Amino acid sequence: MSQPRNSYAVGTGLFIVLGFAALAYLATQTSSVANVRQGDSYTLQTQFTNIGQLKERAPVKIAGVRVGQVQSITLKPGHDVADVTLSIDRQYDHIPQDSVATIFTSGLLGDQYVGIEYGSAKQVVADGGSLARTRSTQPLEQMLSKFFGAGGVVDNVGGSYTVKANFTNVGTLSVGAPVKMAGVVIGSVQSVRADPVQLNASVVLSIDKRYNAIPDDSAAAVFTSGLIGSQYVAIQPGGSPDALKDGDEMVLTQSAMQLEDLIGKFLVNGSGDKKPAGEK
Amino acid sequence: MNVRLPSRENVVTRSLAQIGNSGLFLLTLLAAVPRSMRHVRETIRQLWFVGAMSLTIIMTCGLFVGMVLMLQLYHVLSIFGGTSASGMVVALSVYRELGPVVTALLFAGRAGTAVTAEIGLMRATDQISAMEMMAVDPIAYVATPRFLAGLIAMPLLCCVFCAMAVFGGHLVGVTWLGIDNGTFWSNMTAVVDVRTDIVNGVLLKSLAFGAVVSLIAVFQGFTTPPTSEGVAYATTRTVVASSIAILALDFVLTAFLM
Repeated sequence: MSQPRNSYAVGTGLFIVLGFAALAYLATQTSSVANVRQGDSYTLQTQFTNIGQLKERAPVKIAGVRVGQVQSITLKPGHDVADVTLSIDRQYDHIPQDSVATIFTSGLLGDQYVGIEYGSAKQVVADGGSLARTRSTQPLEQMLSKFFGAGGVVDNVGGSYTVKANFTNVGTLSVGAPVKMAGVVIGSVQSVRADPVQLNASVVLSIDKRYNAIPDDSAAAVFTSGLIGSQYVAIQPGGSPDALKDGDEMVLTQSAMQLEDLIGKFLVNGSGDKKPAGEK
Repeated sequence: MNVRLPSRENVVTRSLAQIGNSGLFLLTLLAAVPRSMRHVRETIRQLWFVGAMSLTIIMTCGLFVGMVLMLQLYHVLSIFGGTSASGMVVALSVYRELGPVVTALLFAGRAGTAVTAEIGLMRATDQISAMEMMAVDPIAYVATPRFLAGLIAMPLLCCVFCAMAVFGGHLVGVTWLGIDNGTFWSNMTAVVDVRTDIVNGVLLKSLAFGAVVSLIAVFQGFTTPPTSEGVAYATTRTVVASSIAILALDFVLTAFLM
């Protein structure tokens, strides 16, 4: 009597075992268990002037080995640095106080992570303590412009809060693109129009009212996220005691770097150096 | 079990009445869960029927979905020289969307229709009434075991589907198209997150879809007019209503879980 029923039961049992085996396979073979934070952890505070594309839950690494993750990224109103909270495994609680936290990029286009380089101090950072020494991401444009010794062209601006800024070249900047300070979004591009008189691009930035303590000599620059990412406007704070107000002008702007221009310059410089050498 | 028959006024009131009736029916089903514990063997038999018997179609379809996804991605990503990312894209798209949705659609077609037709015919041939006369509760003996079986079977089937899809992607990508084996797995493990992709994507979604498909199938079977036409109509309705419910619910779940 129980013979057919038992065959059902065996078949069903096999099915359930197979289903759970598949689940275990998915969880262990195709995903990293290390992606889930496990065990005790403690937090460290750091401040970066530019976090670039760093995201919450990005890895924190020491000597390239994952030891924790980014817990939160915030920008306090009125500050021009991003507060980044790192959550680090309790095992690694011997980080010297003068260690340097740096934002690295895995490869050229990869994700960003926080790397901690040990200092030499005897004192160890405590739970909730902060690492004072940090190094921010270098936007590609800054690196390239340092490399090529060519800064952006400075030109005049006018605007309102909704702040207006004129660029000689906005690249592919479009309406709605983010306006970032220290890598954190604080507003968006309201309009991009060509100025018929000055023959440059007139960009209206709409900035969140909370960030009303931006110095009025701050610079606006058009940067690209990554090598082939979309473009955004970065505000680099100046040192003036007066803040930008609704209707103020941003005097300093840096236009979008064009990869073709840079490569062109590089090639021209390269051949220019070689020619005299060849003539000798 | 008393289903209030919808008046034939218009489409809106009729569909509202359908939704209301199926909601009440769900409560009836859940209330019968303790009573159906006496019929555990029936639940296991149904699990065998809707789950184990669906394995063939689920595994075949999972394999081919993974294979074709990899083939398409490889050709697009080779333009950018990013073929090494195709493994992780296959895994993510299957875990988050394709796995639960395609499994649920197949499940509605393979198991949902069978359940509706079976219960519909039981009703048409007065077997349900016979059970009531023998003091066997048809909800606890017929409806709830089938509902529970669907609820248990869907996440398991979805896991099998996803595993087969990854296997199919590996087969095409690594074995045939020559993506590096180590890159394939390391890219995948770096991106797939257990909580957001596997628990929220695979398990939670498929559990929700399993509940919806089983509820619709059992409800349609129980409320079918006891004629051969009625059974045919109810079976069609199961597939149509399940498909719409799956795709609509998928959007809502994705919006919530993202």
